[in-house]
Amino acid sequence: MDLIDKLREIVGDRISAAPSERLCYSSDASQVRGTPDYVVRPLTTGEVSAVVGLAATEGVPVTARGAGTGLAGGAVAVRGGIVLDMSGMNRIVEMDLSNLAVVVEPGVVQARLNEALKPSGFFFPPDPGSSNFCTIGGLIANNGSGMRCVKYGTTRSYVLDLEVVLADGRVVRTGSRTLKSAAGYDLTRLFIGSEGTLGIITQAVLRVAPLPKARRLVIASFEDAEAAGRAVTRTFAAGIVPSACEILDRTTIEVLRRCDPGIALPPDGDVILFEVDGTAESTAELAAEIATVCSPTARRVEIASGEDEMEEIWAARRLVGAAVSRLDPSKSRIYVGEDVGVPMKEIPALIREICSITERFGLPAMKYGHIGDGNLHVALFIDVLNVDEWTRLLAAADAIHRAAIRLGGTVSSEHGIGAARAAYMTEQLGSAAISVMRAIKRALDPKGTLNPGKLALDDGPSPGGEG
Amino acid sequence: MTGSGDSKKVTKIERKIETKITISIDPRAIELCVRCGTCRSVCPAFEILGWESRNSRGRVMVVKALGEGLAPDSNVLDSLNTCTTCGICAAKCPAGANPPEIVQKARTRLVSQGVMTEAQAGLMRKVGASGNTFGEPGDRLGWLSDPGAIKEKAESVYFVGCLDSYRYPEVAKKTFEILRRFGVTLLPDEECCGSPLIRTGSDARKLVDRNLDQIRRIGAKTVITGCAGCYSTLKKYYPLEFEVVSVPEFLAERLAELDLKRLDLTVTYHDPCHLGRHCGIYDPPRKVIKAICRLVEMKSIREDARCCGGGGGVRAGYPDLSLEIARRRLADVPPGVDAIVSCCPLCIRNLRDAGSEVEVIDLIDLVGRALEVDPDPDPSSRYESPAAERTTDESPVG
Repeated sequence: MDLIDKLREIVGDRISAAPSERLCYSSDASQVRGTPDYVVRPLTTGEVSAVVGLAATEGVPVTARGAGTGLAGGAVAVRGGIVLDMSGMNRIVEMDLSNLAVVVEPGVVQARLNEALKPSGFFFPPDPGSSNFCTIGGLIANNGSGMRCVKYGTTRSYVLDLEVVLADGRVVRTGSRTLKSAAGYDLTRLFIGSEGTLGIITQAVLRVAPLPKARRLVIASFEDAEAAGRAVTRTFAAGIVPSACEILDRTTIEVLRRCDPGIALPPDGDVILFEVDGTAESTAELAAEIATVCSPTARRVEIASGEDEMEEIWAARRLVGAAVSRLDPSKSRIYVGEDVGVPMKEIPALIREICSITERFGLPAMKYGHIGDGNLHVALFIDVLNVDEWTRLLAAADAIHRAAIRLGGTVSSEHGIGAARAAYMTEQLGSAAISVMRAIKRALDPKGTLNPGKLALDDGPSPGGEG
Repeated sequence: MTGSGDSKKVTKIERKIETKITISIDPRAIELCVRCGTCRSVCPAFEILGWESRNSRGRVMVVKALGEGLAPDSNVLDSLNTCTTCGICAAKCPAGANPPEIVQKARTRLVSQGVMTEAQAGLMRKVGASGNTFGEPGDRLGWLSDPGAIKEKAESVYFVGCLDSYRYPEVAKKTFEILRRFGVTLLPDEECCGSPLIRTGSDARKLVDRNLDQIRRIGAKTVITGCAGCYSTLKKYYPLEFEVVSVPEFLAERLAELDLKRLDLTVTYHDPCHLGRHCGIYDPPRKVIKAICRLVEMKSIREDARCCGGGGGVRAGYPDLSLEIARRRLADVPPGVDAIVSCCPLCIRNLRDAGSEVEVIDLIDLVGRALEVDPDPDPSSRYESPAAERTTDESPVG
């Protein structure tokens, strides 16, 4: 019996080997490419277990995929084999709010989970720009975070327990519903951020947080990004921890204003969005304090007029990454070198380096991101039909990655390594750390069938990387 | 429903796969898509079908690959043809890509080279032979009791459309009763506006030319239509020689002259994609409704409104998918309303066929009641029952 027939026995007609289907699953939003031989859409843990077990027996690679919104090729089957599209496993299994917990399948979309939690007064804080379409499974597998992690932390802080299908098809639970546990190795955290290389997540118990009663948004614009960065440091030094702290450089502002000319953002300068949450009184007080801290060096400081204006600004901010074409339709955003992070005090230095790199390579760029946690998104955009621009783009991305490492930072703060950034793993982490990771990989996946070609965990090629 | 990679297509396609297909679509239009995945959260067909090839991002990838030699097999055709062209992906795309336009161009290129589904081919034959989307041999103006209403010259004409001409003649009659008060006439030999052919990739030039010739002979400066599909087509695919006005726009501008009575009703309004997102007509129908009765909005409205599932050839080619999309749209209806009002006969039909628990009526029907020109006090009796409609073998396309 052929593999396709065996797979069909497990999932029925939820398998495809059609060339156009395989094509549609051959990439995410990165430049990494890899065409799977089969696309399988499981609906139960049992089906995942059977498919993964079969793949191990047959020595066929298995790559898990959520919404395919990744920016590093983590869900791309660079060695072919089976892509497991987990987005159909999208049930909220249980709302256990008396334990501050929810139980979800990996295909639940982040925003849908928060819609379900809102009436009960809770939320799941990790808030990436793709929250309307990315899945919880992908967030866990990449330790995603987003705009509110400066106060609330990353996905890692909200996972209590996982159900994982191991490489041989066995199913394990990694934790419990307790808010803390001191029982042995922290297997839950081992799987978080492992990008599907150690197991396939089929269920998660998540911790949720009470929804704040009020939020306030302070919009401060500065002469340049460095001045903006210094204002952030002073804000923290004043004892204020914002619930979000985002930088939008002037190019980003221009794009946002092109998308929505009426948006309530100042037309000039580099802007910091400080959000504070709490009660009506505490947020009013904190917003006023931030305004006081920023005023001496800011061009202008404003406080958003209300919930609607705040929502409008955040919605625009979430989608700005892909919106550069609004500025020039002949240019497209290419996600390379887009997720570097540095220790907070190095933010001004990173901004200087990036300006120098983009100038050197003659590339326009937007710079925006989570300045409150040292994570800067650099949006390089080129005419994709121009070969020379591609060459300069890849060289600039490489320089940005190396600059971040040099400043004691990381090539990825929240998007993951995948295949796109695998080449930097040793430089960033050192060969000893990589050898420990490889030992863990061998212990859990001796045949190397789970998402091969990622995270520099094996010696094979990682096609489509950024270089 | 439409699984990925099933092989139910006609031999015509299988033969064509052997031949080289050329698809050239502006690469910049394609490259605007950065595969961010925003469209996954809004594509109504994808929500049901689940395969990447059934969302806008996937469809753009498929079109690009067709240009690079991908064979247009049945999965390719299902990918492209399950798009209702509702345009919500384009409205939400942060990069400004327009997937429905790309899909429609790809359909056109494929059809011009003989690659199409049986549903597309059948529609092309039917419209070609009869001049209407149903293949009806009967008189298009059968609903008109006074042929003298057709004038040789007029400033404005009422473009009825296939659905109201053949399936909802009472709506056509009611609309014209109001419009003729303002000197509006009819085309003596109206044919399908071309929308079904254009959406599904066929050549509609002959239909456009025949309608255009009549509009010119009448000397009309304004063409008024009550069908969202006709409106969008007249506006975008006909030369800019005349103004195109939708019935809700026409009525909204003449509320003072219409002397509408208030009705003790609460209704909701479904935005047709081709009137709303495609042409920006959101306020006029609401203005008319509010002049008559209470309006409670649906869960998603205006540029965010969900599609009824009827357009883009989906009703004809994938009826199960089409009705499932409509059922999900019905979930947006607020509780306690007396009727769902819309301005597109295709939307109305699909929402009824999907089993709406409240009646689904045309705006003109509400207006008719408020004018008290209707001898029949029960508006629902002027329509075929949904059950009766479902038994008919028709393939309107939006």
